[in-house]
Amino acid sequence: MSRLSHIPNLGGAKAFVLHRQHPTVQAISRQLAAIGLEVHDCWPDLPADVLAGDFVFFDVDMGFDEQFPWAPGAAPMPLIALIGSEAPGRIEWALSHKADAQLVKPIGNSGVYSALLIARQSFEARQRLAGEIAALEARVAERQTIVRAVGALSAQGFDDERAYAQLRSLAMGWQVSLEEAARRVMAMTREEEGDGQSRHA
Amino acid sequence: MNAIAAVNANPALPIEFVPVERDPGANIERYAAGCADILDNSSARHVIGCVTSWSRKEVIPTLERAGGTLWYACPYEGFEANDHVVYMHACPNQQIVPMMAYVVPRFGANGFLLGSNYIWGWETNRVARDLIADAGGKVLGERYLPLGETEVSRLVAEIEATRPDFILNNLIGTSSYAFFRAYAELGRRDPHFRPESCPILSCNLTECELAAIAGIGDGHLSAGPYFHDPAQGAVMPASSFEAAAHASVLALAEILAVKPDAQWTDLPDMFAGRSFRSPLGDITIDPQTQHATLPVRIGRIEGTAFATVSHLRSVAPDPYLSHYDRSATFGRPGLRVIS
Repeated sequence: MSRLSHIPNLGGAKAFVLHRQHPTVQAISRQLAAIGLEVHDCWPDLPADVLAGDFVFFDVDMGFDEQFPWAPGAAPMPLIALIGSEAPGRIEWALSHKADAQLVKPIGNSGVYSALLIARQSFEARQRLAGEIAALEARVAERQTIVRAVGALSAQGFDDERAYAQLRSLAMGWQVSLEEAARRVMAMTREEEGDGQSRHA
Repeated sequence: MNAIAAVNANPALPIEFVPVERDPGANIERYAAGCADILDNSSARHVIGCVTSWSRKEVIPTLERAGGTLWYACPYEGFEANDHVVYMHACPNQQIVPMMAYVVPRFGANGFLLGSNYIWGWETNRVARDLIADAGGKVLGERYLPLGETEVSRLVAEIEATRPDFILNNLIGTSSYAFFRAYAELGRRDPHFRPESCPILSCNLTECELAAIAGIGDGHLSAGPYFHDPAQGAVMPASSFEAAAHASVLALAEILAVKPDAQWTDLPDMFAGRSFRSPLGDITIDPQTQHATLPVRIGRIEGTAFATVSHLRSVAPDPYLSHYDRSATFGRPGLRVIS
């Protein structure tokens, strides 16, 4: 039953609260400070060092795209939406920024801690998924290289099935992915062809 | 009540407390109503009380509505900082974290976790699971009993089978006493399960409960900000719960002496830069979290008292464990014994 620690070390983490001066800001700041975070409140612009921030709370009622130094949905940290008016247009806008958690105004004495943990976990899950998708897309893009490498190996006298098995065993031997092994096989094939051509010249 | 009498008898304090008492009789449905009755029908703005976290969470909405403050004098599982509550007893970095830091190098890191089935046991054991993982140990079992349950033979059989290095006991009341009894019996059969080699650890066991486990508790450990010294007799509070309640009354008296109509909104400013004399020593209250900075003691049960085996003079509260540091708690990885 051994597992990694899940004690969330939030001490010293930086949170930016993008909201005009308002009791909402005080309520959030108080909770954040009690939890141990460093709080910066700002309006209407986020300062440059927001890029070093760990969390951004943003006002959904009066917020607009130009406040953020990143494209909608591409924030490099977890976002928490502060929702006052539940107008569908405003919620749609918050969703376009891919808020990872939300707090409904007015903010009382609690709610910030759970918002931090939920936002961080869902942000990390989204990042992990995006990474996996990018890796899979890269692999899919290499389909043609694999087909060519199998072709090149079968040109040495193997049938397709054995050529594919050989590619796999090369990948294992080199301890690289099948796609990387296929790239190397193709590079070697091109080299050999190049040598052949230069000898013929 | 002793503290109130002491405040009223102190000529240096220009105030007199008139207590308004309500006894919910440990019935969870009556806490919020009792608290509302005090805040609505008397001039009292400050309530000292509640034992379980469940009861504290019951009265918080009432405090928020009526603008009251609860001075809470029991250990709790942390992860709360309500500005209508002043937390005067230990939160996790003042009990379970130092307890584990004391126990792991001496007994080992593999634990068996027990709890009564409510938030104190769940959350304290959750922190313990993380601490055990960080110490390189294993949780060999985690079991919960309904409040009041005394059938513990299966738990004890599981503990016997898994042979942990320690047992973390978050059972309360009669379940806890039944477990101590059955465990003492197990220790008679198998010497591994004696307190010298596999102690029971508690973070909320005080002197008040030692009579219930007389003769079977000796050698086991508990953590708290205060233990009663039998040499000082009845002059000093009998337990850390009483000491923290006493400290609450004294701190409140000092605040009201400066600002007689102090409300919950005034408290953070009143706490800033002040220290309060109390049976726990001179303590401060963090204005941001409204948790007290407290001493931390680990005590070994000896008859009806605790012998202090470890004492940290002043530990600042960290209710969200936001400043928890693995290597400060358990030392550097790689130095642990691999067996």
